[in-house]
Amino acid sequence: MIIASSDQVSRATLFKRFPVPRNFGIARDSRIGPGKRWPAPAGAIRTKSFEIYRYDPDTPENPRVDTFEVDLDDSGPMVLDALIWIKNKVDPTLTFRRSCREGVCGSCAMNMDGTNWLACTRFISDLSTPATIYPLTNMRIIKDLVPDQTHLFAQYEMIQPWLQSETPDPEGERLQSSAERSRLDGYYECILCFCCTSGCPSHWWNGDRFLGPAALLQAERWLADSRDEATEERLDLLEDPFRLYRCHTILNCTRTCPKGLNPGKAIAEIKKLVVERRS
Amino acid sequence: MEHRNTQSPLARAIGLGSAKEGSGHWWAERVSAIALVPLTLWLAAALIAHTGSSHAAFIAWLKTPYVTALMILLLIAAFHHTALGLQVVIEDYLHTWKKFTAMIAVRLGCVALAVVGIIATLQIAFAG
Repeated sequence: MIIASSDQVSRATLFKRFPVPRNFGIARDSRIGPGKRWPAPAGAIRTKSFEIYRYDPDTPENPRVDTFEVDLDDSGPMVLDALIWIKNKVDPTLTFRRSCREGVCGSCAMNMDGTNWLACTRFISDLSTPATIYPLTNMRIIKDLVPDQTHLFAQYEMIQPWLQSETPDPEGERLQSSAERSRLDGYYECILCFCCTSGCPSHWWNGDRFLGPAALLQAERWLADSRDEATEERLDLLEDPFRLYRCHTILNCTRTCPKGLNPGKAIAEIKKLVVERRS
Repeated sequence: MEHRNTQSPLARAIGLGSAKEGSGHWWAERVSAIALVPLTLWLAAALIAHTGSSHAAFIAWLKTPYVTALMILLLIAAFHHTALGLQVVIEDYLHTWKKFTAMIAVRLGCVALAVVGIIATLQIAFAG
């Protein structure tokens, strides 16, 4: 099925994770060992267990998966609330990124029950028991749930995400008609959480050269902008068997976008533009 | 000694730069796919219709001009599409010298198989 938004994806899945042993094909240094159990505080009535990926770069130990019992009556309703509860009340060394707690900053993107999403906009009640919390896939891990996004932001920088214009600056604003402005809808909302790029199989295999859905959606955002004059250079930069055409419309990006955007369609629009200008 | 990459993240992301091509390949994939839809359906229907017919009847059918033409078009479209599709699979999953070796093998193999098929069809049409 071709989907257009993550809200069309059913929450029920056949397998919680792909049915292979947990450390199948994993490099020796990255194999996940047994973790600690952190019991719920005495007197907790409603609890839920969270299996959380832990990695500490300051010890020579391998990553592990710790199990935390969270007191649901003491924590907020979102997964980020549970993580903050753990950090405040159980283990202050648990490390994760967070800032706005309302789905706008994109910091708390992580893999929950096998799906990339923002921890602040995912209800604890949506997750199975035990809930599994991993960092975003396919990135080097700095610590616990914090992945190294240097390469992804370098790829974002490469598509030159700023307005480029040869025409001398106007006195006031650069005007757009309502129709021209509405062409940016579905693109400008992207918060660069990289849930999509992290979930893209093409980016897993060829992430060094393939730009990935997040950067390509941003590329289309500037191609679609009526005020921008660098379309030629932008398309030259994108037309490449790896940078653009590694996208095989798998649509994991659209399935996982916590903002409900459609990076798959944005990439298709770029492919259409590239063909359009040569025929 | 540990091999360190001291390039900046941007330099690593840019790599060797854009090939400034790829749309030709992408477009040819779609066009050959469009050609293959009617051609494959036609061949499948014709083969089902010929179940039970004799060798001589089948050869006579193959010798009719429109059948010969459609067969050759099918062979060109099918092997062109195969070569393009396999190239994508190879680029996805193979790297370094394995990629180039496999790509050369697939290209030459598809051309060879297409030529063999076309010659066989012509042989039946004009000499058989």
